[in-house]
Amino acid sequence: MIISELFRRIGFLLRRRHRDADLAEEMQFHQDLRERRVRERGEAQGQDAAFSAQRRFGNTTLLKETSREMWGWRWLDDFTHDLRYAGRQLRSAPAFSVIVVATLALGIGANTAVFSAMNVILYRALPVHDPDRIVYLRTTRFPRGATQSGQTDSSFSYPAFEAMREQTSVFSDVIGFAPMGGGKSPVRVDGSPEQAEADMVTGNFFSGLGVSAQCGRTFSSTDETSHAGVTVLSYGYWQRRFGGDCKVVGETMVIRGVPMTIVGVAAPGFAGVERTRATDLWIPLQDRIEMPAWGGVAPDNMYRNPNYWWLMVIARLTPDANPQQALARLNPLFLRTAYQSLPEPKAADQKPVLSFETSRGISGLRRLYRESLLMMQSMVALVLLIACGNVAMLLTARNVARSREFGVRAALGGGRSRLFRQLVTESLLLVSCGAAMGWLLTVVASRALGAWFDLNQDFAPDRTVLLYTLSVSTAAALAFGLAPFRGVRRVTATSALRASSVTASSGRERMFVRKAVIAVQVAVCVVLLASAALLVRTLANLERADLGMRIEGLLVFGLSMEKAELTIEETEGFFGAALDRVRRLPGVQSATVTWLRLGDKNSSNTSVSIDGQPPPQGQDQPVRWNRVGSDFLATLGIPLLSGRDISVADTFTAPRVVVVNEAFAKRYFQGRDPLGHEISLSGPRNPRSVIVGVAANSKYTEVREAAIPMAYFSQQAFPLRTMHFEIRTAADPSGIWPEIRASMQEFAPGLPLLEPMTQSGQFARTIASERLFGRLALFFGLLSAVLIGTGVYGTLAYTVGRRTPEIGIRMALGARAGQVLGMVLRESLIVCAVGVVLGVPLALASTHFLESLLYGVTPADPAAFIAATAGILLVALFASLIIGRQCRITTNELDGHRCHHARLRRHLRSLRGPRPARLPRRILAQRL
Amino acid sequence: MPTRDSIPPGTLDMLILKTLARHRPMHGFEIADVIQQISEEVLQVEEGSLYPALQRMLIKGWILGEWGKTSENRKARYYTLTRAGRKQLESELESYGRVNAAIARILETI
Repeated sequence: MIISELFRRIGFLLRRRHRDADLAEEMQFHQDLRERRVRERGEAQGQDAAFSAQRRFGNTTLLKETSREMWGWRWLDDFTHDLRYAGRQLRSAPAFSVIVVATLALGIGANTAVFSAMNVILYRALPVHDPDRIVYLRTTRFPRGATQSGQTDSSFSYPAFEAMREQTSVFSDVIGFAPMGGGKSPVRVDGSPEQAEADMVTGNFFSGLGVSAQCGRTFSSTDETSHAGVTVLSYGYWQRRFGGDCKVVGETMVIRGVPMTIVGVAAPGFAGVERTRATDLWIPLQDRIEMPAWGGVAPDNMYRNPNYWWLMVIARLTPDANPQQALARLNPLFLRTAYQSLPEPKAADQKPVLSFETSRGISGLRRLYRESLLMMQSMVALVLLIACGNVAMLLTARNVARSREFGVRAALGGGRSRLFRQLVTESLLLVSCGAAMGWLLTVVASRALGAWFDLNQDFAPDRTVLLYTLSVSTAAALAFGLAPFRGVRRVTATSALRASSVTASSGRERMFVRKAVIAVQVAVCVVLLASAALLVRTLANLERADLGMRIEGLLVFGLSMEKAELTIEETEGFFGAALDRVRRLPGVQSATVTWLRLGDKNSSNTSVSIDGQPPPQGQDQPVRWNRVGSDFLATLGIPLLSGRDISVADTFTAPRVVVVNEAFAKRYFQGRDPLGHEISLSGPRNPRSVIVGVAANSKYTEVREAAIPMAYFSQQAFPLRTMHFEIRTAADPSGIWPEIRASMQEFAPGLPLLEPMTQSGQFARTIASERLFGRLALFFGLLSAVLIGTGVYGTLAYTVGRRTPEIGIRMALGARAGQVLGMVLRESLIVCAVGVVLGVPLALASTHFLESLLYGVTPADPAAFIAATAGILLVALFASLIIGRQCRITTNELDGHRCHHARLRRHLRSLRGPRPARLPRRILAQRL
Repeated sequence: MPTRDSIPPGTLDMLILKTLARHRPMHGFEIADVIQQISEEVLQVEEGSLYPALQRMLIKGWILGEWGKTSENRKARYYTLTRAGRKQLESELESYGRVNAAIARILETI
């Protein structure tokens, strides 16, 4: 019954005009018949009959409307009517509309953009099947006595991995993966050398995660056990490099000098599980020398060695596995595996602890950015708050100006609820426009953010973000949409239509609310500016931080040998010759080689033995070490404290030497001279090296690094396949790179230069996030200041406009124009000052949360706070001065006043007689 | 002039439905006319209430409106009763009868 009624209603709506015509015709017919009846009965004649019939009908328009109401679509009618009216109203006040929409767009857009970044980094799930059951395995450390490559918290030994694989009650799939080489791997496609991001994975990588193949096939377990020479491409790489042609399956690709067959392409949207880099291709775990994980040199048999930790693990939990219980059971097993060929750990030793980490967001970045993003989110929320405050004040002001219009509507019979509906519709229209523009802003900003984070992730807003935008917009609409009602509530037809709607006191309480809003806005702005100032100072400190080396003029690039089996003679010969060539290039002042690139956030850490003895308890933490070439300290500009630098004489046939840094000397030698002592990396195979020099401390992995003992070895026990060249030059980098490239091409044709850049650029990458957040914070701080400025300006303009009669009266009483304006401006500055007083303690409380992000500044840094308050007051002052100039009333005539009320002007002019003397301030302060 | 009382609220629908049930399909003017005649000029249907009522009943599906021609070949909209309308009429008659009987009882005893 109801359904059919609903259908009928919809039918009536759709054929509305038809129905209207029907009704009109019907009623006309009825009226004609009535007229004829009247005539027949002789009650009236001619025209009178028509009028009589008309009278009986009554108000036809009202009748038609009432009849139409029966169709039940009145609310829709009203709504569309309100909407059109609102549109007209907004068009008639373009400046107002543009300002409000722009303010809202900025506020909503900024919020959504930051949220979309948060979404990608913290919340978004992996594009795999049932991503919530996928977890990363994490460990707190690797056991003392073991060696580790990669990152401490994610590297596991292969035996540990196998032990996990056996736990089928907890895991339905356990997958291992490791990047091949630190940085991109050299590949050759059709002969031309290129770089690609390559990962080695277990056979169940794709099947366990639930990623299908776009072309060809993915891996199987036999691929893993047989260490097959096959590769699967990622969708993005396949599109970019191979034009998306499935015929590429079956072709050969040379990866690190090894020919591999392309067997498939992964489904779109999947770019690996380590989302800080987008993987281009995957190969099964290999057993080749030229393909060790992490690009280093694997000790013997990385698959059976429980003391070499290198493999990263991701697993799918079974549907009914409880993570906490599982970990409780797994940890003892994990410990046993970890120490299986090491002496029993003592009770006081820190032991590795296994844990799970969710695969949502980007694991590597989550910890890094979580705080920054949350802070950013709070900041934009505050900016939105300020923006809504502005919009609320603008709307209120406008509605007060429209009070005459409301009065007319009330006089015509419009009910108050109808008026409310109208105003709500206007607010909704404004918010929708603001949200739509804000969305556009988000799309643009997301793209910029994506490029900035350099993540190859799709930062484009998705459904979650859209939902977020809608909720934010609704909240904003509620926040300021209801604001004007207070003023409108007391509108009656008579009060609004009074010819002189001028009252001297002009709503003192409304003034108070306005002032309160501005004060709150100013307080919030102080918080924002103080935070921004702190972050900017942090950034400046980081950028100017002393890296311990002379970084200007340093260039770096990598080179990797392709040949399968390499001997030390071959690698030494190769890199030695290359280094020679580079040194002889014009413009190159000095050059050296290193195994691990500085500023790359990667490091090798091992414990050392001094003079053949393991260090005493409490001193056996790992030491960071690198293998470097001759003139290392000289090229990098690291000061030499004693002894000598590595020199060309320290070839692989000469006795092994090592240079240590200050922190090393302090930890292991405490004041004694380290020169002449011998050290060796833990591990029975590593021979001893003699300390020949002590260098000053310098940064190694990143700018924020704390000083850590470092050892720079001249030689390794094994041939090193990839080395990075550090070049000091006074020439312009863009000029010298082509030369270097040409020279290296000549020397080793077909080998690409790996990630060539300036060393300072490399270190700058490590503070990329601080740079981003510093700049964003500054932007939001300035934005809020601008909003405050416009808010203050708008309020002052409104105030002066409303209080013109009051000003006129005071002047008629004898005050001078400048004095009166000064009084008005002073009030506004007092409001701002109150806001600042409120804001400073609030800011102190808030910046406390920033502590972990800061570098070189305290959260209560006075300079930052002074800058913030000064900034706000300047903005307020500036806005006030502009108003002052605009509404300047010259002392001789009132016509400089560009605000309203021309009639009042003339009236007052007639009132004024001779120019009065200057009045005491008491009269100015007199309440009217 | 015979006295004209207003139609008691809530009964207009019933009267219209009954009129259509008893007679042939009619247009609006005829319905009002018939009600006025049969009630011997006591009840007069105001146009202001007739048309909204007709529209409401159209929406509810109790009557159907079709365009037709009068005897003078003028276009008019004729209303007929539907089955749903007939059911509605019965239920309204029933409740009206109940209410009336109850009122009658009260008036008798007092």
